[in-house]
Amino acid sequence: MISARTAPALLLFAPLAFFAAFFLVPMAVVAISSITTDGGALTALHYTRILLDQYHWDVLWVTFRIALVTTAICMLIGFPLAWYLVRIVRWRAWRRVCVILIIVPLFTSNIVRSFGWMVLLGRTGLVNQGLMGIGLTDRPMRFLGTETGILIGLVYILVPFVVLAVGNALATIDRGYEDASADLGVGPARTFWFVTLPLCLPGAVSGAIMVFALAVSAYVTPALLSGGQITVFSMLIFQQYSSVFDFHYGAALSVTLLVLTLVLVGIAGRIGESGRRAA
Amino acid sequence: MARHLISLVALAALAYLVLPLAVIIGASLTQTSYLVFPPEGLTLKWFGVLFNDPSYVSAFVTSTLLALAATAVAIVLAVPASLALARYAFPGRKSVSALLASPLVLPYVVLGAALLQYGSAIGIARSFEALLVGHVIIVMPFVLRSVLPLLNPEQRTLEEASLDLGAGPATTFFLVVLPQIRGGIISGGLLAFISSWINVELSIFNTTATLNTIPVKMFNYVQYTVDPTIAAVSAITIVAAALVIIILDLLIGLDMLSEGRRS
Repeated sequence: MISARTAPALLLFAPLAFFAAFFLVPMAVVAISSITTDGGALTALHYTRILLDQYHWDVLWVTFRIALVTTAICMLIGFPLAWYLVRIVRWRAWRRVCVILIIVPLFTSNIVRSFGWMVLLGRTGLVNQGLMGIGLTDRPMRFLGTETGILIGLVYILVPFVVLAVGNALATIDRGYEDASADLGVGPARTFWFVTLPLCLPGAVSGAIMVFALAVSAYVTPALLSGGQITVFSMLIFQQYSSVFDFHYGAALSVTLLVLTLVLVGIAGRIGESGRRAA
Repeated sequence: MARHLISLVALAALAYLVLPLAVIIGASLTQTSYLVFPPEGLTLKWFGVLFNDPSYVSAFVTSTLLALAATAVAIVLAVPASLALARYAFPGRKSVSALLASPLVLPYVVLGAALLQYGSAIGIARSFEALLVGHVIIVMPFVLRSVLPLLNPEQRTLEEASLDLGAGPATTFFLVVLPQIRGGIISGGLLAFISSWINVELSIFNTTATLNTIPVKMFNYVQYTVDPTIAAVSAITIVAAALVIIILDLLIGLDMLSEGRRS
Protein backbone atom coordinates (compact mmCIF):
# COMPACT_ATOMS: atom_id res chain seq x y z
CA MET A 1 0.00 0.00 0.00
CA ILE A 2 1.37 3.40 -0.96
CA SER A 3 1.42 5.76 1.99
CA ALA A 4 -0.14 9.23 1.93
CA ARG A 5 3.38 10.63 2.18
CA THR A 6 4.92 9.02 -0.87
CA ALA A 7 1.84 9.11 -3.12
CA PRO A 8 1.94 12.86 -3.90
CA ALA A 9 5.68 12.63 -4.52
CA LEU A 10 5.16 9.80 -7.01
CA LEU A 11 2.27 11.56 -8.75
CA LEU A 12 4.04 14.91 -8.94
CA PHE A 13 7.47 13.62 -9.94
CA ALA A 14 6.98 13.70 -13.72
CA PRO A 15 5.05 17.01 -13.98
CA LEU A 16 7.43 18.82 -11.62
CA ALA A 17 10.52 17.39 -13.31
CA PHE A 18 9.15 18.56 -16.67
CA PHE A 19 8.38 22.04 -15.35
CA ALA A 20 11.80 22.28 -13.73
CA ALA A 21 13.62 21.19 -16.89
CA PHE A 22 11.71 23.22 -19.45
CA PHE A 23 10.31 26.14 -17.50
CA LEU A 24 12.22 26.97 -14.33
CA VAL A 25 15.70 26.23 -15.68
CA PRO A 26 15.19 28.20 -18.95
CA MET A 27 13.84 31.11 -16.90
CA ALA A 28 16.84 30.85 -14.59
CA VAL A 29 19.16 30.84 -17.63
CA VAL A 30 17.55 34.07 -18.78
CA ALA A 31 17.74 35.62 -15.31
CA ILE A 32 21.42 34.68 -14.96
CA SER A 33 22.42 35.87 -18.40
CA SER A 34 20.71 39.20 -17.68
CA ILE A 35 23.23 39.87 -14.90
CA THR A 36 26.39 38.42 -16.46
CA THR A 37 28.79 39.29 -19.28
CA ASP A 38 29.89 36.91 -22.06
CA GLY A 39 32.80 35.89 -19.85
CA GLY A 40 30.47 35.02 -16.98
CA ALA A 41 31.34 37.95 -14.69
CA LEU A 42 28.55 39.62 -12.74
CA THR A 43 27.34 42.94 -14.12
CA ALA A 44 24.44 45.33 -13.80
CA LEU A 45 25.32 46.86 -17.15
CA HIS A 46 22.35 45.41 -19.07
CA TYR A 47 19.88 46.90 -16.62
CA THR A 48 21.59 50.28 -16.39
CA ARG A 49 21.55 50.32 -20.18
CA ILE A 50 17.76 49.96 -20.06
CA LEU A 51 17.39 52.55 -17.31
CA LEU A 52 19.73 55.16 -18.74
CA ASP A 53 18.62 55.14 -22.36
CA GLN A 54 15.90 57.68 -23.13
CA TYR A 55 14.71 55.48 -26.02
CA HIS A 56 13.64 52.72 -23.61
CA TRP A 57 11.70 55.15 -21.49
CA ASP A 58 9.95 56.34 -24.64
CA VAL A 59 9.09 52.77 -25.65
CA LEU A 60 7.93 51.93 -22.12
CA TRP A 61 5.80 55.07 -22.05
CA VAL A 62 4.19 54.22 -25.41
CA THR A 63 3.61 50.62 -24.27
CA PHE A 64 2.01 51.69 -20.99
CA ARG A 65 -0.06 54.43 -22.58
CA ILE A 66 -1.46 52.00 -25.16
CA ALA A 67 -2.12 49.39 -22.44
CA LEU A 68 -3.85 51.94 -20.20
CA VAL A 69 -6.14 53.30 -22.91
CA THR A 70 -6.83 49.74 -24.11
CA THR A 71 -7.90 48.75 -20.59
CA ALA A 72 -10.16 51.80 -20.20
CA ILE A 73 -11.91 51.18 -23.54
CA CYS A 74 -12.23 47.45 -22.79
CA MET A 75 -14.03 48.30 -19.54
CA LEU A 76 -16.32 50.81 -21.27
CA ILE A 77 -17.32 48.23 -23.88
CA GLY A 78 -17.07 45.07 -21.76
CA PHE A 79 -19.14 46.23 -18.79
CA PRO A 80 -22.31 47.05 -20.76
CA LEU A 81 -21.94 43.84 -22.78
CA ALA A 82 -21.61 41.74 -19.61
CA TRP A 83 -24.56 43.55 -18.04
CA TYR A 84 -26.62 42.98 -21.17
CA LEU A 85 -25.86 39.25 -21.20
CA VAL A 86 -26.46 38.64 -17.50
CA ARG A 87 -29.27 41.07 -16.66
CA ILE A 88 -31.08 41.98 -19.85
CA VAL A 89 -31.11 38.90 -22.09
CA ARG A 90 -33.98 36.66 -21.05
CA TRP A 91 -33.82 34.22 -23.93
CA ARG A 92 -31.34 31.46 -23.01
CA ALA A 93 -30.59 30.39 -26.57
CA TRP A 94 -29.62 33.93 -27.58
CA ARG A 95 -27.34 34.28 -24.55
CA ARG A 96 -25.70 31.02 -25.55
CA VAL A 97 -25.11 32.33 -29.07
CA CYS A 98 -23.65 35.54 -27.63
CA VAL A 99 -21.29 33.64 -25.32
CA ILE A 100 -20.08 31.60 -28.28
CA LEU A 101 -19.56 34.80 -30.30
CA ILE A 102 -17.45 36.18 -27.44
CA ILE A 103 -15.38 33.01 -27.03
CA VAL A 104 -14.71 32.21 -30.70
CA PRO A 105 -12.40 35.25 -31.11
CA LEU A 106 -10.53 34.12 -27.97
CA PHE A 107 -9.74 30.85 -29.70
CA THR A 108 -8.73 32.34 -32.99
CA SER A 109 -5.08 33.22 -33.41
CA ASN A 110 -4.01 36.81 -32.66
CA ILE A 111 -2.56 36.84 -36.12
CA VAL A 112 -5.90 36.04 -37.74
CA ARG A 113 -7.74 38.64 -35.70
CA SER A 114 -5.14 41.33 -36.34
CA PHE A 115 -5.14 40.43 -40.02
CA GLY A 116 -8.90 41.02 -40.07
CA TRP A 117 -8.27 44.56 -38.81
CA MET A 118 -5.50 45.10 -41.34
CA VAL A 119 -8.08 44.44 -44.04
CA LEU A 120 -10.78 46.53 -42.35
CA LEU A 121 -8.58 49.52 -41.51
CA GLY A 122 -6.75 49.85 -44.83
CA ARG A 123 -7.11 52.92 -47.05
CA THR A 124 -9.91 51.32 -49.04
CA GLY A 125 -11.11 49.11 -46.17
CA LEU A 126 -14.65 48.84 -44.92
CA VAL A 127 -14.05 51.27 -42.03
CA ASN A 128 -12.87 54.07 -44.31
CA GLN A 129 -15.63 53.32 -46.82
CA GLY A 130 -18.15 53.58 -43.99
CA LEU A 131 -16.68 56.80 -42.59
CA MET A 132 -16.70 58.39 -46.04
CA GLY A 133 -20.16 57.01 -46.80
CA ILE A 134 -21.72 58.78 -43.81
CA GLY A 135 -19.72 61.91 -44.55
CA LEU A 136 -17.52 61.93 -41.43
CA THR A 137 -14.43 62.34 -43.55
CA ASP A 138 -13.87 63.04 -47.24
CA ARG A 139 -10.40 61.49 -47.46
CA PRO A 140 -9.47 57.98 -46.21
CA MET A 141 -8.11 58.17 -42.68
CA ARG A 142 -4.82 56.54 -41.79
CA PHE A 143 -5.23 53.82 -39.13
CA LEU A 144 -2.44 51.35 -39.89
CA GLY A 145 0.83 52.51 -38.39
CA THR A 146 -0.92 54.69 -35.82
CA GLU A 147 -1.68 54.16 -32.15
CA THR A 148 -5.38 54.27 -32.96
CA GLY A 149 -4.97 51.22 -35.19
CA ILE A 150 -3.09 49.31 -32.48
CA LEU A 151 -5.75 50.30 -29.93
CA ILE A 152 -8.60 49.04 -32.12
CA GLY A 153 -6.82 45.71 -32.56
CA LEU A 154 -5.83 45.27 -28.89
CA VAL A 155 -9.26 46.23 -27.55
CA TYR A 156 -10.73 43.71 -29.95
CA ILE A 157 -8.51 40.94 -28.65
CA LEU A 158 -8.91 41.74 -24.96
CA VAL A 159 -12.60 42.73 -24.60
CA PRO A 160 -13.74 39.09 -24.17
CA PHE A 161 -11.65 38.81 -20.97
CA VAL A 162 -13.50 41.76 -19.42
CA VAL A 163 -16.89 40.41 -20.47
CA LEU A 164 -16.15 37.02 -18.89
CA ALA A 165 -14.67 38.48 -15.67
CA VAL A 166 -17.42 41.07 -15.12
CA GLY A 167 -20.13 38.69 -16.34
CA ASN A 168 -19.06 36.04 -13.85
CA ALA A 169 -19.05 38.59 -11.02
CA LEU A 170 -22.49 39.90 -12.01
CA ALA A 171 -23.95 36.41 -12.35
CA THR A 172 -22.93 35.44 -8.82
CA ILE A 173 -24.29 38.56 -7.09
CA ASP A 174 -27.14 37.77 -4.71
CA ARG A 175 -30.06 39.84 -6.01
CA GLY A 176 -31.36 40.06 -2.43
CA TYR A 177 -29.02 42.98 -1.67
CA GLU A 178 -30.38 45.00 -4.55
CA ASP A 179 -33.97 44.12 -3.66
CA ALA A 180 -33.34 45.20 -0.06
CA SER A 181 -31.90 48.49 -1.27
CA ALA A 182 -34.92 49.08 -3.51
CA ASP A 183 -37.33 48.13 -0.70
CA LEU A 184 -35.70 50.77 1.47
CA GLY A 185 -36.69 53.38 -1.11
CA VAL A 186 -33.32 53.80 -2.82
CA GLY A 187 -33.57 54.62 -6.53
CA PRO A 188 -32.13 52.34 -9.21
CA ALA A 189 -29.18 54.62 -10.03
CA ARG A 190 -28.10 54.88 -6.39
CA THR A 191 -28.66 51.15 -5.86
CA PHE A 192 -26.40 50.45 -8.81
CA TRP A 193 -23.75 52.88 -7.59
CA PHE A 194 -23.71 51.85 -3.91
CA VAL A 195 -24.74 48.17 -4.01
CA THR A 196 -24.26 46.47 -7.38
CA LEU A 197 -21.04 48.15 -8.48
CA PRO A 198 -19.12 47.49 -5.24
CA LEU A 199 -20.23 43.83 -5.37
CA CYS A 200 -18.84 43.25 -8.86
CA LEU A 201 -15.85 45.54 -8.48
CA PRO A 202 -13.36 42.81 -7.48
CA GLY A 203 -14.19 40.82 -10.63
CA ALA A 204 -14.02 43.95 -12.76
CA VAL A 205 -10.72 45.13 -11.27
CA SER A 206 -9.00 41.78 -11.60
CA GLY A 207 -10.31 41.57 -15.19
CA ALA A 208 -8.94 45.05 -15.88
CA ILE A 209 -5.49 44.25 -14.47
CA MET A 210 -5.44 41.01 -16.50
CA VAL A 211 -6.20 43.01 -19.66
CA PHE A 212 -3.55 45.58 -18.77
CA ALA A 213 -0.90 42.89 -18.24
CA LEU A 214 -1.78 41.18 -21.53
CA ALA A 215 -1.75 44.53 -23.37
CA VAL A 216 1.70 45.41 -21.96
CA SER A 217 3.18 42.10 -23.15
CA ALA A 218 1.28 41.90 -26.48
CA TYR A 219 3.48 41.32 -29.50
CA VAL A 220 1.63 40.11 -32.59
CA THR A 221 -1.10 42.76 -32.72
CA PRO A 222 1.17 45.81 -32.29
CA ALA A 223 3.72 44.28 -34.68
CA LEU A 224 1.13 43.89 -37.45
CA LEU A 225 -0.93 47.03 -36.94
CA SER A 226 2.02 49.35 -36.29
CA GLY A 227 3.38 48.74 -39.78
CA GLY A 228 6.88 49.25 -38.34
CA GLN A 229 6.04 52.81 -37.24
CA ILE A 230 5.57 52.24 -33.52
CA THR A 231 7.70 50.13 -31.19
CA VAL A 232 6.37 48.48 -28.02
CA PHE A 233 8.35 46.70 -25.33
CA SER A 234 7.89 43.09 -26.49
CA MET A 235 9.23 44.06 -29.95
CA LEU A 236 12.49 45.15 -28.30
CA ILE A 237 12.85 41.67 -26.79
CA PHE A 238 12.12 39.97 -30.09
CA GLN A 239 14.65 42.17 -31.92
CA GLN A 240 17.42 41.25 -29.49
CA TYR A 241 16.78 37.53 -29.92
CA SER A 242 16.04 37.43 -33.64
CA SER A 243 18.25 40.05 -35.29
CA VAL A 244 20.68 41.66 -32.83
CA PHE A 245 21.57 38.37 -31.08
CA ASP A 246 22.48 40.10 -27.82
CA PHE A 247 21.07 37.46 -25.47
CA HIS A 248 22.27 39.21 -22.30
CA TYR A 249 20.54 42.42 -23.13
CA GLY A 250 17.47 40.59 -24.43
CA ALA A 251 17.40 38.66 -21.15
CA ALA A 252 17.44 41.89 -19.11
CA LEU A 253 14.51 43.19 -21.19
CA SER A 254 12.66 39.87 -20.70
CA VAL A 255 13.16 39.95 -16.94
CA THR A 256 11.89 43.53 -16.84
CA LEU A 257 8.71 42.58 -18.72
CA LEU A 258 8.26 39.43 -16.63
CA VAL A 259 8.57 41.27 -13.31
CA LEU A 260 6.14 43.97 -14.45
CA THR A 261 3.61 41.33 -15.50
CA LEU A 262 3.95 39.21 -12.36
CA VAL A 263 3.51 42.23 -10.10
CA LEU A 264 0.32 43.19 -11.96
CA VAL A 265 -1.06 39.66 -11.90
CA GLY A 266 -0.20 39.35 -8.22
CA ILE A 267 -2.19 42.49 -7.46
CA ALA A 268 -5.10 41.17 -9.54
CA GLY A 269 -5.04 37.87 -7.66
CA ARG A 270 -5.09 39.66 -4.28
CA ILE A 271 -8.05 41.80 -5.29
CA GLY A 272 -9.95 38.81 -6.71
CA GLU A 273 -9.36 36.82 -3.53
CA SER A 274 -10.38 39.58 -1.12
CA GLY A 275 -13.53 40.03 -3.21
CA ARG A 276 -14.36 36.33 -2.94
CA ARG A 277 -13.90 36.40 0.81
CA ALA A 278 -16.09 39.49 1.17
CA ALA A 279 -18.90 38.06 -0.96
CA MET B 1 -33.92 54.33 -21.07
CA ALA B 2 -30.62 53.20 -19.52
CA ARG B 3 -31.64 49.67 -20.41
CA HIS B 4 -32.01 50.50 -24.09
CA LEU B 5 -28.72 52.37 -24.11
CA ILE B 6 -26.91 49.37 -22.58
CA SER B 7 -28.54 47.00 -25.07
CA LEU B 8 -27.47 49.26 -27.91
CA VAL B 9 -23.84 49.40 -26.73
CA ALA B 10 -23.86 45.63 -26.17
CA LEU B 11 -25.18 44.86 -29.64
CA ALA B 12 -22.63 47.24 -31.17
CA ALA B 13 -19.89 45.46 -29.18
CA LEU B 14 -21.09 42.08 -30.46
CA ALA B 15 -21.00 43.41 -34.02
CA TYR B 16 -17.46 44.66 -33.38
CA LEU B 17 -16.48 41.15 -32.22
CA VAL B 18 -17.97 39.44 -35.25
CA LEU B 19 -16.95 41.94 -37.94
CA PRO B 20 -13.26 41.02 -38.56
CA LEU B 21 -14.01 37.30 -38.56
CA ALA B 22 -16.90 37.76 -40.99
CA VAL B 23 -14.75 39.98 -43.20
CA ILE B 24 -11.97 37.39 -43.37
CA ILE B 25 -14.33 34.56 -44.27
CA GLY B 26 -16.01 36.80 -46.87
CA ALA B 27 -12.72 37.99 -48.36
CA SER B 28 -11.45 34.41 -48.73
CA LEU B 29 -14.24 33.73 -51.24
CA THR B 30 -13.40 36.55 -53.66
CA GLN B 31 -12.60 35.82 -57.31
CA THR B 32 -10.20 38.76 -57.51
CA SER B 33 -6.48 38.21 -56.98
CA TYR B 34 -6.37 40.99 -54.37
CA LEU B 35 -8.19 41.15 -51.05
CA VAL B 36 -11.53 42.85 -51.16
CA PHE B 37 -14.61 42.91 -48.97
CA PRO B 38 -17.40 42.44 -49.83
CA PRO B 39 -15.99 39.71 -52.15
CA GLU B 40 -16.39 40.14 -55.90
CA GLY B 41 -17.85 36.89 -57.14
CA LEU B 42 -17.68 33.67 -55.15
CA THR B 43 -15.06 30.94 -55.48
CA LEU B 44 -13.25 28.34 -53.41
CA LYS B 45 -10.13 28.50 -55.56
CA TRP B 46 -7.97 30.09 -52.82
CA PHE B 47 -8.52 27.05 -50.67
CA GLY B 48 -7.33 24.96 -53.62
CA VAL B 49 -4.20 27.13 -54.00
CA LEU B 50 -3.50 26.50 -50.33
CA PHE B 51 -3.75 22.72 -50.49
CA ASN B 52 -1.50 22.64 -53.55
CA ASP B 53 1.24 24.65 -51.87
CA PRO B 54 3.64 22.20 -50.16
CA SER B 55 4.89 24.85 -47.70
CA TYR B 56 1.36 25.40 -46.38
CA VAL B 57 0.66 21.69 -46.25
CA SER B 58 3.86 21.04 -44.30
CA ALA B 59 3.18 23.94 -41.90
CA PHE B 60 -0.33 22.58 -41.44
CA VAL B 61 1.07 19.12 -40.63
CA THR B 62 3.67 20.59 -38.21
CA SER B 63 1.04 22.67 -36.39
CA THR B 64 -1.31 19.74 -36.06
CA LEU B 65 1.33 17.22 -34.94
CA LEU B 66 2.70 19.77 -32.49
CA ALA B 67 -0.72 20.51 -31.02
CA LEU B 68 -1.59 16.80 -30.79
CA ALA B 69 1.72 15.85 -29.16
CA ALA B 70 1.65 18.82 -26.75
CA THR B 71 -1.93 17.99 -25.73
CA ALA B 72 -1.13 14.30 -25.20
CA VAL B 73 1.96 15.03 -23.07
CA ALA B 74 0.06 17.72 -21.16
CA ILE B 75 -2.73 15.25 -20.31
CA VAL B 76 -0.27 12.57 -19.17
CA LEU B 77 1.42 15.11 -16.87
CA ALA B 78 -1.65 17.04 -15.70
CA VAL B 79 -3.82 14.10 -14.60
CA PRO B 80 -1.41 12.75 -11.93
CA ALA B 81 -0.63 16.33 -10.88
CA SER B 82 -4.31 17.12 -10.35
CA LEU B 83 -4.77 13.84 -8.41
CA ALA B 84 -1.93 14.82 -6.09
CA LEU B 85 -3.31 18.36 -5.65
CA ALA B 86 -6.89 17.25 -5.08
CA ARG B 87 -6.32 14.18 -2.90
CA TYR B 88 -3.34 14.88 -0.64
CA ALA B 89 -2.27 17.54 1.82
CA PHE B 90 1.48 18.01 1.62
CA PRO B 91 3.92 20.81 2.34
CA GLY B 92 4.26 23.24 -0.56
CA ARG B 93 0.93 22.20 -2.11
CA LYS B 94 -0.05 25.83 -2.77
CA SER B 95 3.29 26.65 -4.41
CA VAL B 96 3.08 23.59 -6.66
CA SER B 97 -0.40 24.55 -7.76
CA ALA B 98 0.70 28.15 -8.41
CA LEU B 99 3.75 26.98 -10.36
CA LEU B 100 1.75 24.64 -12.59
CA ALA B 101 -0.82 27.37 -13.33
CA SER B 102 1.73 30.18 -13.85
CA PRO B 103 2.21 29.77 -17.64
CA LEU B 104 -1.35 31.12 -18.01
CA VAL B 105 -0.19 34.61 -17.06
CA LEU B 106 3.35 34.50 -18.40
CA PRO B 107 4.29 36.73 -21.36
CA TYR B 108 4.80 34.11 -24.09
CA VAL B 109 7.50 36.24 -25.70
CA VAL B 110 9.59 35.81 -22.55
CA LEU B 111 9.12 32.02 -22.42
CA GLY B 112 9.87 31.73 -26.14
CA ALA B 113 13.08 33.72 -25.74
CA ALA B 114 14.05 31.61 -22.71
CA LEU B 115 13.51 28.36 -24.59
CA LEU B 116 15.56 29.59 -27.54
CA GLN B 117 18.44 30.58 -25.27
CA TYR B 118 18.24 27.42 -23.17
CA GLY B 119 17.66 25.30 -26.28
CA SER B 120 20.86 26.64 -27.83
CA ALA B 121 22.71 25.71 -24.64
CA ILE B 122 21.49 22.08 -24.65
CA GLY B 123 21.42 21.70 -28.42
CA ILE B 124 17.71 21.50 -29.20
CA ALA B 125 17.15 25.08 -30.41
CA ARG B 126 14.92 25.49 -33.48
CA SER B 127 13.72 21.89 -33.46
CA PHE B 128 10.38 20.17 -33.07
CA GLU B 129 11.44 19.14 -29.54
CA ALA B 130 12.07 22.77 -28.54
CA LEU B 131 8.63 23.75 -29.86
CA LEU B 132 7.01 20.76 -28.15
CA VAL B 133 8.33 21.36 -24.64
CA GLY B 134 7.28 25.02 -24.76
CA HIS B 135 3.81 24.13 -25.98
CA VAL B 136 3.39 21.48 -23.25
CA ILE B 137 4.25 24.11 -20.63
CA ILE B 138 1.68 26.63 -21.88
CA VAL B 139 -1.19 24.17 -22.48
CA MET B 140 -0.88 22.05 -19.34
CA PRO B 141 -2.73 24.58 -17.13
CA PHE B 142 -5.84 24.20 -19.32
CA VAL B 143 -6.02 20.45 -18.65
CA LEU B 144 -5.25 20.96 -14.97
CA ARG B 145 -8.02 23.53 -14.55
CA SER B 146 -10.59 21.36 -16.32
CA VAL B 147 -9.76 18.16 -14.39
CA LEU B 148 -9.29 19.53 -10.84
CA PRO B 149 -12.93 20.56 -10.18
CA LEU B 150 -14.11 17.05 -11.07
CA LEU B 151 -12.04 15.45 -8.31
CA ASN B 152 -14.51 16.53 -5.63
CA PRO B 153 -15.09 14.93 -2.19
CA GLU B 154 -18.08 12.80 -3.29
CA GLN B 155 -15.86 11.30 -5.92
CA ARG B 156 -13.29 10.55 -3.23
CA THR B 157 -15.76 8.37 -1.30
CA LEU B 158 -16.14 6.15 -4.36
CA GLU B 159 -12.37 5.77 -4.64
CA GLU B 160 -12.05 4.83 -0.97
CA ALA B 161 -14.85 2.27 -1.36
CA SER B 162 -13.03 0.77 -4.31
CA LEU B 163 -9.76 0.54 -2.36
CA ASP B 164 -11.56 -0.92 0.69
CA LEU B 165 -13.06 -3.60 -1.49
CA GLY B 166 -9.58 -4.71 -2.45
CA ALA B 167 -9.06 -3.08 -5.83
CA GLY B 168 -5.47 -1.87 -6.35
CA PRO B 169 -4.62 1.76 -7.04
CA ALA B 170 -4.25 1.10 -10.79
CA THR B 171 -7.61 -0.69 -11.05
CA THR B 172 -9.25 2.06 -9.00
CA PHE B 173 -7.76 4.71 -11.27
CA PHE B 174 -8.92 3.14 -14.52
CA LEU B 175 -12.35 1.95 -13.35
CA VAL B 176 -13.36 4.64 -10.84
CA VAL B 177 -11.35 7.83 -11.30
CA LEU B 178 -10.88 7.97 -15.06
CA PRO B 179 -14.58 7.68 -16.00
CA GLN B 180 -15.32 10.60 -13.65
CA ILE B 181 -12.71 12.95 -15.06
CA ARG B 182 -13.08 11.95 -18.71
CA GLY B 183 -15.20 15.05 -19.47
CA GLY B 184 -12.56 17.32 -17.95
CA ILE B 185 -9.80 15.63 -19.91
CA ILE B 186 -11.71 16.05 -23.17
CA SER B 187 -12.67 19.71 -22.64
CA GLY B 188 -9.26 20.62 -21.20
CA GLY B 189 -7.60 18.74 -24.04
CA LEU B 190 -9.62 20.65 -26.65
CA LEU B 191 -8.67 23.99 -25.08
CA ALA B 192 -5.04 22.85 -24.93
CA PHE B 193 -5.11 21.77 -28.57
CA ILE B 194 -6.50 25.10 -29.79
CA SER B 195 -4.14 27.17 -27.64
CA SER B 196 -1.19 25.29 -29.07
CA TRP B 197 -2.47 25.46 -32.63
CA ILE B 198 -2.95 29.24 -32.63
CA ASN B 199 0.24 30.23 -30.83
CA VAL B 200 2.61 32.70 -32.48
CA GLU B 201 4.60 34.39 -29.70
CA LEU B 202 6.13 31.24 -28.28
CA SER B 203 6.68 29.34 -31.53
CA ILE B 204 8.23 32.20 -33.47
CA PHE B 205 11.56 31.88 -31.63
CA ASN B 206 12.09 28.22 -32.48
CA THR B 207 10.67 27.93 -36.00
CA THR B 208 12.77 27.94 -39.18
CA ALA B 209 12.03 28.30 -42.88
CA THR B 210 11.52 24.53 -43.14
CA LEU B 211 10.08 23.85 -39.67
CA ASN B 212 7.15 26.23 -39.49
CA THR B 213 3.70 26.35 -37.94
CA ILE B 214 0.67 27.87 -39.67
CA PRO B 215 0.31 30.93 -37.38
CA VAL B 216 4.03 31.78 -37.59
CA LYS B 217 4.05 31.30 -41.35
CA MET B 218 1.05 33.62 -41.61
CA PHE B 219 2.67 36.16 -39.33
CA ASN B 220 5.82 36.29 -41.46
CA TYR B 221 3.80 36.40 -44.67
CA VAL B 222 1.31 39.08 -43.65
CA GLN B 223 4.06 41.56 -42.81
CA TYR B 224 4.95 41.73 -46.51
CA THR B 225 1.84 40.90 -48.52
CA VAL B 226 -1.83 40.33 -47.94
CA ASP B 227 -3.73 38.26 -50.47
CA PRO B 228 -6.75 35.96 -50.58
CA THR B 229 -4.68 32.83 -49.69
CA ILE B 230 -3.98 34.31 -46.24
CA ALA B 231 -7.69 35.00 -45.88
CA ALA B 232 -8.36 31.37 -46.82
CA VAL B 233 -5.97 29.98 -44.15
CA SER B 234 -7.51 32.36 -41.62
CA ALA B 235 -11.02 31.32 -42.59
CA ILE B 236 -10.14 27.67 -42.00
CA THR B 237 -8.84 28.41 -38.49
CA ILE B 238 -11.91 30.52 -37.63
CA VAL B 239 -14.34 27.83 -38.76
CA ALA B 240 -12.32 25.17 -36.89
CA ALA B 241 -12.32 27.28 -33.69
CA ALA B 242 -16.07 27.88 -33.98
CA LEU B 243 -16.70 24.15 -34.43
CA VAL B 244 -14.60 23.25 -31.38
CA ILE B 245 -16.37 25.89 -29.25
CA ILE B 246 -19.77 24.57 -30.32
CA ILE B 247 -18.67 21.01 -29.46
CA LEU B 248 -17.47 22.27 -26.05
CA ASP B 249 -20.80 24.02 -25.55
CA LEU B 250 -22.72 20.83 -26.27
CA LEU B 251 -20.30 18.83 -24.10
CA ILE B 252 -20.01 20.94 -20.95
CA GLY B 253 -22.46 23.81 -21.61
CA LEU B 254 -20.99 27.29 -21.92
CA ASP B 255 -24.04 28.92 -20.36
CA MET B 256 -21.68 30.44 -17.81
CA LEU B 257 -23.26 33.88 -17.60
CA SER B 258 -26.67 32.83 -16.32
CA GLU B 259 -27.85 34.41 -13.12
CA GLY B 260 -28.35 32.60 -9.86
CA ARG B 261 -25.32 30.37 -10.38
CA ARG B 262 -23.21 30.57 -7.23
CA SER B 263 -19.55 29.89 -7.70
